[in-house]
Amino acid sequence: MDENNLIKMELTVNGEAVSMIVKGGRRLLDFLRDDLHLTGTKEGCGEGECGSCTVHLDGQSVLACLTPMERAIGCSVLTIEGVGSPTNLHPVQAALLDEGGVQCGMCTPGMVMSALDLLERNPDPTIEEIIEGISGNLCRCTGYKKIIYGIQQAAQELQAASPAGTVKESVE
Amino acid sequence: MTILNETLQEEELKIQTPSISRKDEYESVGKSVLRKDSVPKVTGKAIYTGDLHMPGMLFGKVLLSTQAHALIKSIDVSAAAAVPGVKAVLTSRDIPGENAFGIAIPDQQVLAETKVRYIGEPVAIVAAEDIFAAEQAISQIQVEYEPLPAVFSPFDALKPGAPAVHAKGNILYHTKVRKGNIERGFDEAAIIVENIYRTSGQDHAPIEPEAGFAWIDAEGVLNVFSGTQYAFRDRRQIAIALNLPMNRVRVANMTMGGGFGRKDDVTAEILVALLAWKTGRPVRLVYSRHEAMMSQTHRHPTYTRVRTGANKEGKLTAMEGVIYGDTGAYASLGLFVIKKMALHLGGPYYYPNYKSDSFSVYTNNPIFGAFRGFGVLQAAVSHEGQIDELAEKLGMDPIEFRLRNCLRPGLSFSTGQLMTNACGIATTLERLQDYLVENGLSIELHPEVSA
Repeated sequence: MDENNLIKMELTVNGEAVSMIVKGGRRLLDFLRDDLHLTGTKEGCGEGECGSCTVHLDGQSVLACLTPMERAIGCSVLTIEGVGSPTNLHPVQAALLDEGGVQCGMCTPGMVMSALDLLERNPDPTIEEIIEGISGNLCRCTGYKKIIYGIQQAAQELQAASPAGTVKESVE
Repeated sequence: MTILNETLQEEELKIQTPSISRKDEYESVGKSVLRKDSVPKVTGKAIYTGDLHMPGMLFGKVLLSTQAHALIKSIDVSAAAAVPGVKAVLTSRDIPGENAFGIAIPDQQVLAETKVRYIGEPVAIVAAEDIFAAEQAISQIQVEYEPLPAVFSPFDALKPGAPAVHAKGNILYHTKVRKGNIERGFDEAAIIVENIYRTSGQDHAPIEPEAGFAWIDAEGVLNVFSGTQYAFRDRRQIAIALNLPMNRVRVANMTMGGGFGRKDDVTAEILVALLAWKTGRPVRLVYSRHEAMMSQTHRHPTYTRVRTGANKEGKLTAMEGVIYGDTGAYASLGLFVIKKMALHLGGPYYYPNYKSDSFSVYTNNPIFGAFRGFGVLQAAVSHEGQIDELAEKLGMDPIEFRLRNCLRPGLSFSTGQLMTNACGIATTLERLQDYLVENGLSIELHPEVSA
């Protein structure tokens, strides 16, 4: 690498191909927020405690603050911006609003990403499994209950919408 | 007789209290209302301070004190200023206006001048082309400290000859509450319990650490964006520190990622404003979690001794308490939080005779300020402990004992304020009682409490 440590980031982000030369040696979080201006992914602690920076890397949830950006080269990254839009909310997002699970909103993107990962792996989770599924995400406003109920509601809606008897294969 | 007075006042109250009309249907009361900002939040589109970006933007960083109590002998910024990409390294000498701010009293320094009073106090600030240059510059600033003896508890701070955190002394504020005749109240008591309660400090830990963004617009107005609880108060304090007329400063409130009281204070606003003013460039300053925990306010640790008496009929006769609240190195809202604790030390119960003293005391701990509950939480630890112990010793049901003593319309609070309509403690307790009966539950005290 050259003295400025420039690297080529070639990857897919929210379904779109990205190819850009940027300063290397940083976190995936910095690449998303500072280079791609995808600021929906938040930084709450920078040390893997709060889960606010949760994104999906090749279908698995990871903490963008603990993931070197180079790790994402050639991969597919999904951030909150790729999940749903204000006019077309994902059922998880709609259910969080419905249950009152959004207050300051700083943990919300990470919560949504963890919930999506959980429901991919386990479409019909128990309350205990939902708690386990978001155990890496801290919220300081809601007290968690409304978030848990929101995820439960989304799971029921997604189950009802999917053809009866089918069980989703876990991703890769 | 106090009871006679109360009865009379209750009669008068019936005449004075206006009747409140009740509607069957309200627009939002009793309904689940969607937050106006929740759709942008759940889709990641809400813009918080740390999300802001502008062409030519510089990155700010703060150097925090490593000493709890020390004189600053010298600050050498030459190596920091020489780091490539660094546009400004500022110390207290660079403040155009007054180096003083504070939400209640301006006892706090924007940047420490001759003395630091806690670990985490801002000493210098840097703006650079990228965050790495800013971090490198911060590590190159040389501060020579001369450590002073420090105090880390209100008791040490109040000892004769204790190191003075501030020149005016270590007592920030003493609140006295007096009601009735405390000696007579305890004479009338059949049982008296006395305990010491201690509560610890606590970080608010809003998921969004403190942040500020500042830029100067085409008309020369300094714009400061931050997630703050009080934009206008921030504006006044920025104007004073930068020696600018108020109409040259504009503060806009960004989406706030949790405040819980702590963003009532000025956080990053003056520092980021200084950097933008000195460089003429947009500047973004985002605290790390570590920096935020070190330098921002927390919940007060408190130490309380309280004595409460009740008669054989299970009526409270008197309460007497002394509170020591550790307010840390600067006032913040420490005088009001600990003042409020003195008023609420008895909780939602009626005491004909009440005496409390609270002391808000400076120490070299981090700053303690406003946090959800504002001193009332710390008081609750002691009054509920006292009530439980009295009920236990009188052989009474703890809810029944509370119902017998709780505030009701016509009774007066510790300050003499008469309760009117908004006094729901009895209704709450009755519902709790019903709930327990309906569900076949009973209250059992924790073994440690009843021991």
